[in-house]
This record gives sequence, structure tokens and C-alpha cells, in this order.
Amino acid sequence: MKLNRRRFLKYAAASSAVATAGALFPGVSFGNWQNLTNNSGIISWQKAPCRFCGTGCGVLVGVSDGRAVAVKGDPNCSVNKGLCCMKGYHSVQMLYGKDRITTAKVRKNGEMVEVPIKEALDLVAEKLQETKDKHGKDSVAIYGSGQWTIPDGYVASKLFKGCLGTNNVEANARLCMASAVTGFMTSFGIDEPMGCYEDMDHANVFITWGNNMAEMHPVLFSRMLANRKRRTNVTVIDFATRSTRTSQAADKSILFRPQTDLAVANAICYEIIKNDWVNWNFVNEHVSFHKGKTNIGYGTEDHFAFKDKAESINFEEYKLFLEDYTPEKVEKISGVSARDIKYMAALYGDPSLKVTSFWCMGMNQHTRGTWINNLVYNIHLLVGKISTPGNSPFSLTGQPSACGTVREVGTLTHKLPHGVVMKEHHREMAAEIWDVPVSNIDPKPTYHTVEMFRALDRGDIKFIWIQVTNPMVTMPNLRRYRDGALKDGRFVVVSDVYPTPTTDVADVILPAALWVEQEGMFGNSERRTQHFAEIVKPPGEAMSDTWQIIEVAKRLGFEKQFPWTQDDYIGKIWEEYRKFHAGPKHEMASYKVLKERSGVQWPFVNGKETRWRFNPKYDPACTNGKEFDFYGKKDNRAWIWARPYEPAAESPDSEYNFWLNTGRVIEHWHTGSMTRRIPVLHNAVPSSYVELNPEDAAELGVVNGEMVKIISRRGEVTMPAQIKGRGVPPRGMVFVPFFDESYLINEVTLDAFCPISKQADYKKCAVRLEKA
Amino acid sequence: MMKRSKKRGRLVTGVAALCLLCALIFTGSTAFSASVDLRDFDNQGKKIYEANDATPQIYMSADSGDRNLASFYELRQYPGSPPRIPHEVDLTFSGDETDCLSCHARGGYSQEFGKFVPVTPHPENSLCYQCHAQVLTEEKFVETEWKSIMPPRLGRSFLGGSPPPIPHSLQMRENCISCHTGPGAVVEIRVDHSARGNCRQCHAPAVQTTPLQEFVRKP
Repeated sequence: MKLNRRRFLKYAAASSAVATAGALFPGVSFGNWQNLTNNSGIISWQKAPCRFCGTGCGVLVGVSDGRAVAVKGDPNCSVNKGLCCMKGYHSVQMLYGKDRITTAKVRKNGEMVEVPIKEALDLVAEKLQETKDKHGKDSVAIYGSGQWTIPDGYVASKLFKGCLGTNNVEANARLCMASAVTGFMTSFGIDEPMGCYEDMDHANVFITWGNNMAEMHPVLFSRMLANRKRRTNVTVIDFATRSTRTSQAADKSILFRPQTDLAVANAICYEIIKNDWVNWNFVNEHVSFHKGKTNIGYGTEDHFAFKDKAESINFEEYKLFLEDYTPEKVEKISGVSARDIKYMAALYGDPSLKVTSFWCMGMNQHTRGTWINNLVYNIHLLVGKISTPGNSPFSLTGQPSACGTVREVGTLTHKLPHGVVMKEHHREMAAEIWDVPVSNIDPKPTYHTVEMFRALDRGDIKFIWIQVTNPMVTMPNLRRYRDGALKDGRFVVVSDVYPTPTTDVADVILPAALWVEQEGMFGNSERRTQHFAEIVKPPGEAMSDTWQIIEVAKRLGFEKQFPWTQDDYIGKIWEEYRKFHAGPKHEMASYKVLKERSGVQWPFVNGKETRWRFNPKYDPACTNGKEFDFYGKKDNRAWIWARPYEPAAESPDSEYNFWLNTGRVIEHWHTGSMTRRIPVLHNAVPSSYVELNPEDAAELGVVNGEMVKIISRRGEVTMPAQIKGRGVPPRGMVFVPFFDESYLINEVTLDAFCPISKQADYKKCAVRLEKA
Repeated sequence: MMKRSKKRGRLVTGVAALCLLCALIFTGSTAFSASVDLRDFDNQGKKIYEANDATPQIYMSADSGDRNLASFYELRQYPGSPPRIPHEVDLTFSGDETDCLSCHARGGYSQEFGKFVPVTPHPENSLCYQCHAQVLTEEKFVETEWKSIMPPRLGRSFLGGSPPPIPHSLQMRENCISCHTGPGAVVEIRVDHSARGNCRQCHAPAVQTTPLQEFVRKP
């Protein structure tokens, strides 16, 4: 490092400050960080939601000399009350990876060449128009994510659905929480949880359904542990297919065979009825019974179509349906002892206990994901433990704005910001707010995510714009979709912050602003909308995803629909979007309020957040004068569904004799494109591995670190074994974290999905193992 | 005394084994949950949760200032070596090492030494003298040229205000709460927020004796 005099003086001053601090705190030494030049030593703090999971922790980002330098938990945020996890605390380091994409790149004669971003945007607009003219409106698509800010998703939907007239708008949240949505819609007729995180301070029993909260939602999990410590009457049950940190922390760990949660949930209901723990006042007033289609398929074939049909049944029919699910019968299916099933039923059934159920990917990434969501609601509805503090079936989310952007803005093929494309009055509302002819909005949904990438492979889609997500690591049955994206005649635009396997297949790469380099909003799991300002400048020519879409929209001639300037667009977009949700069921806070507070829960009615929906004590949308009002459904009741146990799309057999389960570790988030560039996180878990049960490992003859080949009918990957590491799968199952692009485990997984939600199942397919 | 308790231990193990056997017979191949030992993975992370449950809140936030890092490292030959026993051990103690645990398993105030007692992170290893040596003399047999590496520096957060990573190996030191909490803890490394209970939620292991690796994308 060359030092001029001025810089030397600054450096000396900084060093002496460190020396002084060292004298003040004997034994404490300070890290060998690169010192910032022009650094006054003063840090200014600004609020933001964390960039990672759907918990939505409030953080304070410390800025010095125009750079983000530190993170604190935001004590004003009720989500985390000043606590973060290791990802949150180090999150600002993700902004400064050396290989950050700062300029646009365009493929010219097979090579990616740097170009000014204006030129790249011109090309994107030109290609989009050309493809649409030549192959029709449904040959162009946009694929975003639950990390899209609310304005990102909103302008994407407005441009593609409102202006271009195609419903080819999807987001990776389809692969993450679509089953949660269809679960809510079928059981309650309205999306997102009735409860909130405050439930944790009231509940006596927590049951985690296939949900390793200790690693995936650690801040919420430690709030649960703190409650168990503070109050004497708190029990935690981990109900899972694999032993994890959550199992270790729980008072009881119960393992079940993959997919059999369906049977166990029904058995719990059987026991509740058999022991007459049913809350009859609640059930008679607020519940109706239904059944749907069975043997509904798995969607592994192209053009798979399914539509459920609800039929009313009475309580006696429901009770008869449950006869197949006695604890003794279910013990044989699930591997859960009848005693443990009865124990869980007794916890749900005991009227003196408040019960909160938590779940996330285990229930949602499930070929019967909608059903298992329904079935857990059934349990809570039978005993009336819902919509009151501490009684909460709670669906957690994995991305910072899966709720805010994908579910609320509706960046899914069938959705609009309010309602669905299939309904005329919803289309009319959107057309009016968007200032487009209503005929622009196509009443027919097109492709859900898996089918969208199939369409790209087939050539039905020829132009796809991918923002804020890394499908070339995350698509199940990945090889087909990567080969498809690379075919001639496909034009792939990728907006991202770092090179990934997805930018590897791009024809245009647009440099994107990351997190607090732009203004925006996220929406977390508990209906909380969280605003963040542009706290630091994006590097180079990087631009927010929202503004990229606006630039392209303007080039396509939609200035009228996208009239905003770069100074005020986020506030203007918010106020326009907010019109879709006017009314007590979904009223959103104003831009001004969002800027002031560390997150605001909707419905935000007359200046008050709604913590528990469907309960008139808390929810102003309740109008029926009764103790509860399940106003989402036309019959003003919550729906109990008779949903059977059906096996997984692919189960182990004599040839492929292991289950493959995939997931995450606390250190890394999704495909690791951000967390792997944070030194402390990468250093803790530098590469992925396959977890084996110790006995299976012994039988295979591998020890820790030796290579194992995992082979399925679709592909194979060879990776190091981990035994008794972070988690332990039961015999006959292996588990692989999917964050590592060097081991593309999704080349092995199966693209089967829930026929109702169209969400893929990443937790279950059949593989065999070889010592490599 | 010692012999008797050992016998009881065997009996208990025997009964437990019998129960397990019964469970296996009755549930057949469905005995699924019993197949994983929850104590035996993730660096025995269960210890943290158990310590969190077992340690009273008031103890977690208490501080006596009795021990500091200087005296802590004085007892060790190198960072991570088993400390020597810094106090006299009554001869009647010597045949029965598990009695160490009567103080060091749970901590608390020792009348005898007038101090708060440090808590062992690995009470399941009850053969204490296997590793922890008594000090009968400070005199060396022959002078030595042994040199230790420097102990890990403190406060090496990756960012100002971020939780410092765990600078030492977790082997034998899986239970964070035992050493980092309570009035017997070393003042420089004592924390008062251990009631959060899930230490490795924020503190990532980054052992300082191994070089840091940076993520580099393979071409």
C-alpha cells in the first residue's frame, strides 16, 4: 500500500485510536481489518429488514464513509427485538464480494462482452418485442423471486400482465410456499397466517412439523427457547424426518417416515374425536366439512393439469373417513408409535394448553403440500385452537418477501395484486389501477414455475428474464432445465449481483442493486411490511430490478403506465399498489408510516395493526357478531378437509434404496451466492456434503469426508460424506444441503409437484449410493 | 461410596437396555425415533440446550470476577490443552475422581476455596485425572525449550458489533454455557446473554489455528 502524507496521518490516527482502545480493554485485540480511508470513525445507523429469510428481523445497518460497515439488531422491531443470527450480523459483507457484477454484459459471438447498461437494456427491450411479435405474447416470460422487493414484483406484474398481456409471470416462491398459499385458500379462503410471532409468548406447546427452526428460523427459535426458560409450562416437540439441532433442543423428538405426516395428522384428528376433545361450540359455529379429489397425480409429465373439486360432507362422513387412521394403523405407515401419536393428540386436545404449530419447507415442498397444510389446520380447527394468542397454526416462509411480493402482489401466473386473472371484476380492478384496457389482461393462467421451465425447454417460451434468483442451481431435475435454457433460439436475461450458474446461461446479464443499495419493501411471514431506504450506493452501473423493468417498459412504449422518476418511484409505486388492498381485510400502511416504523402489520386499519385475524377482539374485518368470523370463505366458516394419505411420487425400492432429502444449513442461505461471499459463513461451512446415518455409512464403508456417489434416475453427484455432523438422517435416508454450486444436487432431485399448488417436492426422491 | 454408585449405574443401564429391547420387540421395524442418538451429532449441540435448561437465569448473569484469562492460560501448556488442577486435592479424593464433579459439574460457591467454581464442559468424562494433572511441584526436571502458540485473540468479530466467531475447536468444549456463563467464568470471555440458548445461531466456528478460506467460484 502506497502512503501519501495525508493518508499516513489518517492511518496513524486510526491506529492510535485502536491502540487506545486496546489500552482501555486489556486482553481485547482488534481484528486486522482494512481501514477505511476518510473514515471519521462515526457510524450512522439506518433501519432495514434483513436480506435473508422470511422471519423479517429488523436490522440497523451501520454506514461509514458511504460503505456499510456493521449490523445491529433493531431493538424497535418487534420481530427480533435487537437479536439477529450469524447471517444477519454479517449480512453487509455480502455487498463487497470481489466478483460483484457492476456492468452489463451481452453475449456476442458466444462471448460475454461488457457493454453500457443502456445498450443492454435496449437489447432486452428489442429482443422482448421481437420475440412477442414473432411467436406471440406467451413466448415471453419473467421469473422473479421472493427476494424481489414489493416494487420489483409490482412493476413486473404490471408490465407483463397489464401491458404485454401475458400471464407468464412466476417467481421461485412457487417452489417455496405455493402449498402454504393453497392451504390457506382452501381452508380459509384468504392467504397468510391468522396469528403472529407474539403467539410464541403465549403458547404452552410448540410442535415443529418437519421444520428445523433452530437453523432455519433461529431468531424465532431462540424466542421459543427463551419462553421455555422463562415460563415453566412450555414444551417443544420436534416432529421431523431427520434429527437436527431442533430435535436436540426439543423436549421430545419424534421421527416419521417421509410423506407419512399426512397419515399422522389424520390420526391426531381421529384421537381428538375418539376422546371427545372436540371443541363443539367452535366447530358447530365456525367449521364446515369438505372432501376433494383423490389419487391426484404428481405432475412429472409435461402439460399436467389438475383441478380439485370441493364437495361438502357432514361430520359423520368425516369421522368415517378417519377410521382408516387409527394410531395403531398409522404406526405401521409412519413409524411413529401409537403412543407418540396419542401424546401429540393429547397436547392438541388438552383445553388448558395453548398450542402453536410451526412449519415451512417440510410441509410445503411436498407432493401433497396443500393437503398437509389442510390437515394441520384440521387439528387446530377441531379443538378451536386458532386466532387467539398462543393458539396458532403458523406457516413460516423462507424468503424475505415471499409473502410481501409473491403472495401479496401476486407474481404468480394466476394472480393479480388483488384476486386472480380468472375473475372478471379482479381484472377490471387491475386494468383501472394500471390504466390499461381490461382486454389486455388474459383470463387464462399460463405456466407455473416447473411448467414454465419445461416450456422454455420445449421452445414454447423463447425469451425469459430472470431476476434475483438462481434457478440453474435450484430447479429440481435440473439438467433438463439447464439444457433447455442453453438451446438455440432461447434468449435468457439475468439480473443478478454475482456470477452464478444462472448467469452462466445468460445472453444478457444486468447488474442489480443488492438489498440496501436501493429503496424498497419486503413483507415477512407475519403479514409485516418493512420499508428500507437506499442506504449505500449500488456499485458501478448496478440498478434496482424495479428500475430495470421500468427502463424496458419505457422502451416498449409504456411511458404512461410507468411515468415515475428515479427520485420518487418507490413511494409512487407503493401508493398505487396500496389501492389494490383497500379495505379492512388487507389495508396496507401508507408510504409515510412505513418509512417511520420498523415494519407494519397488515391489515393496518385506522392506524392499528391487526395481530390476530378472524378474531373480532383484534380484527376489525370481523362483522358477524360472533366469537370468530372466518370471512375468507363464502359460508363464513373455516373448512376442514378429508384428505387421505397418498405415497410420495417416488419412494425407495430395491434398486434406488435411499430417500434423498435436501435443505439448508444455518450458515448459508439458498444457493449461497450471497452467504458464500461472507468470510465467516464460508469459513464455517465451506462446501456441501451428504449426511448419512452412521449405520448406513458403516455398511457402505465410508467415513467422514470420503466421497459418496448419489445416483437417481435423473442424474448423479459425488460429494463428501458427513457422519454425525449437523444432522443425522434415519437409516435409509441421506440429506444434502443445496447451497453449493459445485455439487448440483438438484440434478438428482425429481420435478414432481403438488397438483394443487404446483410446488415441487425437494424432500423426497429415490437414490442409490456408491462409495466413490 | 463410589463402588455402590457404579453398581447402581450398571443396574440402570441394564434396565434401560431391557426397555429398549422390549420397545424394539413390540414396535418391530417401526421403532424409528430410537435410531438416532440426539447427543451424538452437531458437536454434541444438545449439551447447550440442556445446560440452558439446567442453569438458573440468575446464575447465568452472575459475575464474581474471580478468574481472568491470564490465570486461565497459566494453567495450560498451549491453547486447548487440559488445564492443570490449580488447587490442592485432598488425598482421600485421589481414589475417586468423580468427586471432582461434585463441584465442577454444576459450579456454585465453594466454602472451602472461597471462590466460585468453574464448570466443566464435559462432565460425562468422569475420569478426570486421565487428563488433568495435579501440581505437586513447580520445579522442572530439566529446563525445556517448549514454546506455545499465542492464544486466540479476543474480540475478533468480522465486523464492528458482530458476534465474534468461536476461535477454538469444539471438541471437549461443546457446552458453551459451562465456560462462558456464570460467576465461575473467566471475566474476559463471560457473556450475560446465554439465556438465548442457541449459541451457534450467532457464533460461527472459525478456528484460528486454521487459515481462513475465501470462496472462489470455480470457472
